[in-house]
Amino acid sequence: MSKNLEKTIISSCPHDCGGRCVLKVHVKNNTITKIETDDGEGTQLRACARGRAYRQRVYSPDRLKYPMKRTGERGEGKFKRISWDEALEKVSSELIRIKETYAPEAILNISYSGNTGTFLHNQLSLFRLLTMFGGFTPIWGSASFWGSLFSSETTFGTVTAGHTGDDIPNAKYIIMWGWNPAETVQKTNTAHYLSQAKEKGIKIVSIDPRFTDSAAAFANQWIPIRPGTDTAMIIAMAYVMIIENLHDKKFLEKYTTGFDKFEAYVLGTDDKQPKTPAWAETITGVKAETIEKIARQYAGNKPSKILTLGAPGRTAFGEQFHRSLSTLSAMTGNIGVSGGEPAAFGLPAVGLQPSAGTGLIARQMTGNLPEGARQRPALHITKLWDAILKGKEGGYPADIKMAYITNGNPVNQFMNSNKAVEALKKLETIVVHEQFMTPTAKYADILLPVNTQFERNDIIRPWQGGPYCIYMNKIIDSLYESKSDLEICTGLAKKLGLSGYNELTEDEWLRDFWEAAKDMTDSKPLPDYDTFKKEGVFKIKTDKPVIAFEKEIKDPENNPFPTASGKIEIYSEKLKERNTPDLPPIPMYIEPWEGKNDPLTKKYPLQLVSTHSKRRIHSNMDNMPWLNSLEPHVIWINSTDAEARGIVNGDNALVFNDRGKISIKVKVTERIIPGVVSLGQGAWYSPDKKGIDRGGCANVLLKDEHSPAGAFCSNTCLVEIEKGED
Amino acid sequence: MQIGFYFDQSRCTGCYACVIACRDWHDIKDTSIELRKIIPLEQGKYPDVKLSYISLSCNHCKTPACKEACPVEAISKRDENGIMVVDQNVCLGKDRCKMFCKEACPYDAPQFGETENSKMQLCTLCTDRLAENKNPVCVDACPMRAFDFGPIDELKKKYGEIKEVPGFVHSKQTEPSIIFKPRY
Repeated sequence: MSKNLEKTIISSCPHDCGGRCVLKVHVKNNTITKIETDDGEGTQLRACARGRAYRQRVYSPDRLKYPMKRTGERGEGKFKRISWDEALEKVSSELIRIKETYAPEAILNISYSGNTGTFLHNQLSLFRLLTMFGGFTPIWGSASFWGSLFSSETTFGTVTAGHTGDDIPNAKYIIMWGWNPAETVQKTNTAHYLSQAKEKGIKIVSIDPRFTDSAAAFANQWIPIRPGTDTAMIIAMAYVMIIENLHDKKFLEKYTTGFDKFEAYVLGTDDKQPKTPAWAETITGVKAETIEKIARQYAGNKPSKILTLGAPGRTAFGEQFHRSLSTLSAMTGNIGVSGGEPAAFGLPAVGLQPSAGTGLIARQMTGNLPEGARQRPALHITKLWDAILKGKEGGYPADIKMAYITNGNPVNQFMNSNKAVEALKKLETIVVHEQFMTPTAKYADILLPVNTQFERNDIIRPWQGGPYCIYMNKIIDSLYESKSDLEICTGLAKKLGLSGYNELTEDEWLRDFWEAAKDMTDSKPLPDYDTFKKEGVFKIKTDKPVIAFEKEIKDPENNPFPTASGKIEIYSEKLKERNTPDLPPIPMYIEPWEGKNDPLTKKYPLQLVSTHSKRRIHSNMDNMPWLNSLEPHVIWINSTDAEARGIVNGDNALVFNDRGKISIKVKVTERIIPGVVSLGQGAWYSPDKKGIDRGGCANVLLKDEHSPAGAFCSNTCLVEIEKGED
Repeated sequence: MQIGFYFDQSRCTGCYACVIACRDWHDIKDTSIELRKIIPLEQGKYPDVKLSYISLSCNHCKTPACKEACPVEAISKRDENGIMVVDQNVCLGKDRCKMFCKEACPYDAPQFGETENSKMQLCTLCTDRLAENKNPVCVDACPMRAFDFGPIDELKKKYGEIKEVPGFVHSKQTEPSIIFKPRY
């Protein structure tokens, strides 16, 4: 075929939304001209606005083009072009200097989820390099769903605990609990399946501080609830079921452990506080009679689904939300049946499992490395800045001297951005791989340009599971002087004299992964590598929805749950032994800090929730005109709260607490519960000379703290808002 | 024959995939040009609220007011399918003309953009794609499968004749070629 003819090539989008959609990319003369989406057989994997806008990202004038070194102050954004050789020389000599002067763990590897579900090009390139180099301080935790992961592991012994989306229309009743897939996508086609359920006449309820796009499109009823209090409502629903004898006692006896202890807590046998709907009403703001009705409807319309992902669990004691929700699904016997849902981490057992994604890559990319190199104490993602500032004296495992940042924008996306800046200024060396001059990139000493997924080959799977995977074909040559993380790290390995870092071509790596992946799925046969690469999309044909724990319920003798007891652990012996404060062995409601009863409300009376915007993926694509022209970045406030402050729709406002101050336009709306304000996370941090963030970055306001199990508490935050200057 | 749209508003989540697909396919860099747009409508008082979206392009009206309003006859309507066409070589441009077409249109469909004396642009119904037997790009983009497209008489047979949703008034004068399934 002549090079001048336009052709179409299949790829996908690598960012962290949980969906994976088909991008059918038109290319002519090594230039991308248009992007279409799936028009193939089977349920089409249609892309959202963000995927459709990708051409503008690739050809953005703001792409980082060359390696650069910092010339101004950190954060000023002043850089000078240097050669790749000089850049790699500088980075490798700094790695050696820091390791020899201090210790390997003085190097903090902040490589996160900018590329997710990709087999080859992701944060593991640097992980492998630094491991071979002699170790580093790693990070742990997730800004998304740690409470859910923890709860699924604790309660069911696995995170493979969800149904495929095509099971949604099989429910008789659905609760969307703090769940807004219309904007977050979550899994490709989730919203499509919800609309099918609605059109079948299935009753759908949305429990959420906001009347979301999902609530508007799918729900028959919206129940506004105060952030951080969902667990109280769930436990009161359990109370109603117990008192009214609506729970499935046979199921509980056969498949679960410790329901009696949970029941005693719910009834208040020990603490003399029955967890009645009236008790929950004062906490949640949801009327007792509404709680009663929802409990009866959920228990009385079996099979019924509670669908959620992370938001209500991104709170002070977020794991309790997930633990209690799964308990509710066990109480109603909604586990192991089509139309039900364990209300746990939603990975369905189909397609390439995580072991074939991240785990497989981790094995391949870090295989044959000394075990000890991987065993350094990790820092939780909410504690990086505190750890840098306080070091060993503050009780942290290392004195950090250097940060190496890839696949992420931690100044923006981890809590307490002002503290992040203070911490980064303290370091001796900062290296960043990036595509754009992000708020984090501005703090780099050496800034290295990374290519996009259209400039390299990869394989991708939906990280929340799904019956397909996509070959992301290379479409154009790398623009400017950009390289992949793997290419950059390969260059560094040479400079560092590390042999064996990367002896394979991109194609050989992917071929190898694909062959290994074949052993890691029941979904057979997988096509051979070359066919897969050529066709681009591999959809697994399933004749019915995939249901979690079907065999554990049908034949429990031969199929115990993968927990210590072999049962669904409402009571967890493991948690009992762990003996961590505020991490009880049964699910409980625990009063959050920065909630409505915190004395701090006198100063900062409004609860802030930080949500996902439909026009960016976390902080990715906030700088694309096609997308950021769609909707202004605003903070939502209820009309009663706005009126009390003399604020009208469209006003500029200052939102603040002790951690920082942002300037942002206000949307006065009836779509949010009074007492709560809502801000889409991911807008780029842009502090002015007075330290006021003009970008409206939610993390300026968030407390750098995690829940006892490690959840990122981005919906636990108090602020005040006042009218700003025009 | 008149081609038109069916828009199932009950399905639309306001995700903008149609808008971006349109901008990309037609390579429209100027974000002030909205060949397709989303119109959100919030109604009611907390907690009894309603939210709906309308995704709208040129409605390729049966009796287009823009065509009548154009002083230089730059706007025409194809006989075979009723698609509106603007001849940019004839259009005077926004600085030399008072944008009579835009003023006449009940739906603000004619688009001019921000560059100096830019010429009018209109949804072409992806005439280039129709020639290849493909749907307009917005129709195939919708993750919610909210659109259908084809001869308006056939669409009416299939989906009924609801011509209005809150926020959209059916102009009896121009007769827009669009029918709806309302959310509320």
